Amino acid sequence: MPLNVDRVSAGYGKVVVLHDISIAVGQGEHVGLFGPNGHGKTTLLRAISGLIRPSSGSITFDGAAITTLAPRQIVDRGLVQSPQGNTLFPRMTVLENLTLGAYAGRAWGKRRESLARVFALFPKLAQRQGQLARTLSGGERQMVSVGMALMGAPSLLMLDEPTLGLAPKIKDELAEAISAIAATGVTMLVVDQDIELLLGVCQRLYYIENGRVSLETREGERIDRQQILEMYFGTAQR
Amino acid sequence: MSVDTLVAILVSGFVAGSLYALMASGLSLVWGTLRMFNFAHGTLLMLGAYAAWYFSDSKGLDLGLSVGIPAALILLALGGILLYALLVRPFIARPGADLVVIITTLAGASFLQNAAQEGFGPRYKQLDRVVKGQVEVLNTAIGLQELLIIILTPIVLLLLALFLKRTKLGLAIRAVEQNHDSALLAGVNVGRIYPLIFAVSAVLAALAGIMLGGLFFITPVMGSDPLLRAFIVVVFGGLGSLPGTIVGAYVIGIIEAIAVFVVGLYWAPVVLFIVLILVMILRPTGLMGGKV
Amino acid sequence: MSGRGLGWSPRQIALWVVGIAIFLLLPRVITDPYLLHVAILGMLFSIVASNWDLTLGYAGVFNFAHIAFFGIGAYTSGILAVRFGVSPWIGIIAGAIAAVIVAAIVSVPAIRLRGIYVALLTFAFAQLALALIVSQTSFTGGISGLVGVPGLSIGDYQFREHPVAYFYLIGAVLLASTLFLRRVVTSDFGLSLVALRDFEEYAVSRGVPLARQRFLAFLFSSVFTGAAGALYVHYLLVASPEVFGFSLGTLFLSMILVGGAATIYGPVVAGIVLTYISEMMAPLGPIRFMVLALLIIVTMWFVPQGVWGLVARGFSRRKTEGDGVIG
Repeated sequence: MPLNVDRVSAGYGKVVVLHDISIAVGQGEHVGLFGPNGHGKTTLLRAISGLIRPSSGSITFDGAAITTLAPRQIVDRGLVQSPQGNTLFPRMTVLENLTLGAYAGRAWGKRRESLARVFALFPKLAQRQGQLARTLSGGERQMVSVGMALMGAPSLLMLDEPTLGLAPKIKDELAEAISAIAATGVTMLVVDQDIELLLGVCQRLYYIENGRVSLETREGERIDRQQILEMYFGTAQR
Repeated sequence: MSVDTLVAILVSGFVAGSLYALMASGLSLVWGTLRMFNFAHGTLLMLGAYAAWYFSDSKGLDLGLSVGIPAALILLALGGILLYALLVRPFIARPGADLVVIITTLAGASFLQNAAQEGFGPRYKQLDRVVKGQVEVLNTAIGLQELLIIILTPIVLLLLALFLKRTKLGLAIRAVEQNHDSALLAGVNVGRIYPLIFAVSAVLAALAGIMLGGLFFITPVMGSDPLLRAFIVVVFGGLGSLPGTIVGAYVIGIIEAIAVFVVGLYWAPVVLFIVLILVMILRPTGLMGGKV
Repeated sequence: MSGRGLGWSPRQIALWVVGIAIFLLLPRVITDPYLLHVAILGMLFSIVASNWDLTLGYAGVFNFAHIAFFGIGAYTSGILAVRFGVSPWIGIIAGAIAAVIVAAIVSVPAIRLRGIYVALLTFAFAQLALALIVSQTSFTGGISGLVGVPGLSIGDYQFREHPVAYFYLIGAVLLASTLFLRRVVTSDFGLSLVALRDFEEYAVSRGVPLARQRFLAFLFSSVFTGAAGALYVHYLLVASPEVFGFSLGTLFLSMILVGGAATIYGPVVAGIVLTYISEMMAPLGPIRFMVLALLIIVTMWFVPQGVWGLVARGFSRRKTEGDGVIG
């Protein structure tokens, strides 16, 4: 397993958000996280990326413990998280944002090839490369966000709500791009509200509620779309 | 108003504006990235002047200005890093760190001022002028040193802008300024950007000190007034906005020069204070609408 | 936070009894006039520091204009006495009133601004006040100060011939000031200040009037500070611009921080102790201010809640006081 999160608890100050949570992502696997808002999905990604330090538990990546590493060390190992689309560098151009995605040591040397790949995936960004990030539309920001993560030359790509707040048409466009990324064989961990997107891309799903995994689907298991939808909306209303 | 008065006001306004721009851009960089104010920034100006004097003057190491100025700038870069390590770094993770740092940097300023008083004694010192002599502009004599300051400062600021815009480190600094978490996710070593910013801002302050030290006496408190003006400038220009800060510096410099001419030296600070209050109340995001 | 019931715990009553006993007996123990002088200064500075604690510690407002309240009290009374022959007793009241008026003026823009802007504005104001005092030489004596300030007297009884009289008078003012501050911080008003400091949004949403409470905090903190400034000039018989100065400001700040922000007692005790230490270091010249600055920095490193906060916490094991922004 390239990524192993083992009984991790974490939070902000005295507020504990994650309670003994465990997930794993295998080589080349595409895993999805879903569940109601404010129940710890983003916090889990932040803990994996090193933005917050777990109070207990351990996280290993490619066999090495990364629990206490700084974010830049984690990024440099190829474990790259896309920032949420509304958290770009607002007063920088698209090109500067993407370039920053390749800041970590290993990725910097490959930034020209990576840029070509991102522009091939999102031709719109090539046209807008001189534009300031804060003037982009929501869909374009999400593209920049995914593009920034790709610039980091990921061996495991973590996407944080790549279709958040998008109109259906643009959502489809992004879903297509994400499928294309998945097809390249990169290992992926995707958080999103859109079950359809996750079901289309991921082999396995974790349902996260109250900072715990309350349901996970096994590999090879047929996913009952209807069942998941019912459970999701059933609990979300509670 | 006669032409030579106008020229004199403009010259003194632009000289002051240049000094304020150097001071305020350093403050603004620190504010933009750390959301903190360095109240010891004025003492960095003072130390820059003393260091240059000590290295260059015949009563010091007598190495001349060509060695003294670079040596002072290097020393102050290290001083900026040290200041960060002792007065800012230990508090950065605490709640209310911005306010704690006001106190620690104020204490640091008091320490350094008194250290300068103790170390260099009460006798006033002055740096040699880099260029001596005067030129006639519109029948008004202008000191070459003043002219040099007016010309050199925009070049320095341009270099700073290029550094921020064109280099990898500059990109990282702007990234930390605009979005701390995303900068971390991109792999920026934020812990190393902070001391770098302090080094850059200390060098800019030292440069202002060296310029000032050639015009007036070097004293332990010589940094207080420029610091106060720089505060007004960063509020005026919009905290954290570098272009706003630089424009603001020249505007404040000119306003002050006019105020000195109209209401006199002693009442000019009152005019500036009123400007400060008006800006804070009417346009708290500053001239260029930076973020609060 | 300071709980209301904590206003008069047995420990506090004991503290007051011991404090007052020491105060009454001290002049009998101290025969050295210089030590008596240091004690008088210490009590004056205690007043300034503990009142500053109201805005800085309790309200969490970074008010650097406090030093100007002290200076304005000093110069008001000094100028009234020297230029207009007004009795120093009236001058003390006038000094307090002048400080309150100035506090009201400064606080109007200050309370509307957020943290860092308050610090900038009040810092600029204190510097401005100093610049103005120095510039009006004909009135204030300029940089060399206002000399020939009369001492206090009752009939033919001249205080300056009897320093013990200054000791008891200033001690009584310190006592009154401390009682006043305790009353303020344990009242509903004091609690609301702390609430605004620690949970601003919540307190405002519960209807605590932010601007009004902070405005009042400025006023309350300036009354005894202005009076202390006036007493200071009628004791030293000179008003010099250093009452606005950076060095004195640093000294006051160290009293609050070393003593313990948001504790009142901490700055009172630290005021007297640090004045003593500072005066003992006077022959060292600038080094004494370097030591004081270091003391502030080291305190912030190791005991951010201050000595009083540390002791109080150790005793009561209850999270009561001194957990402010800088505590």
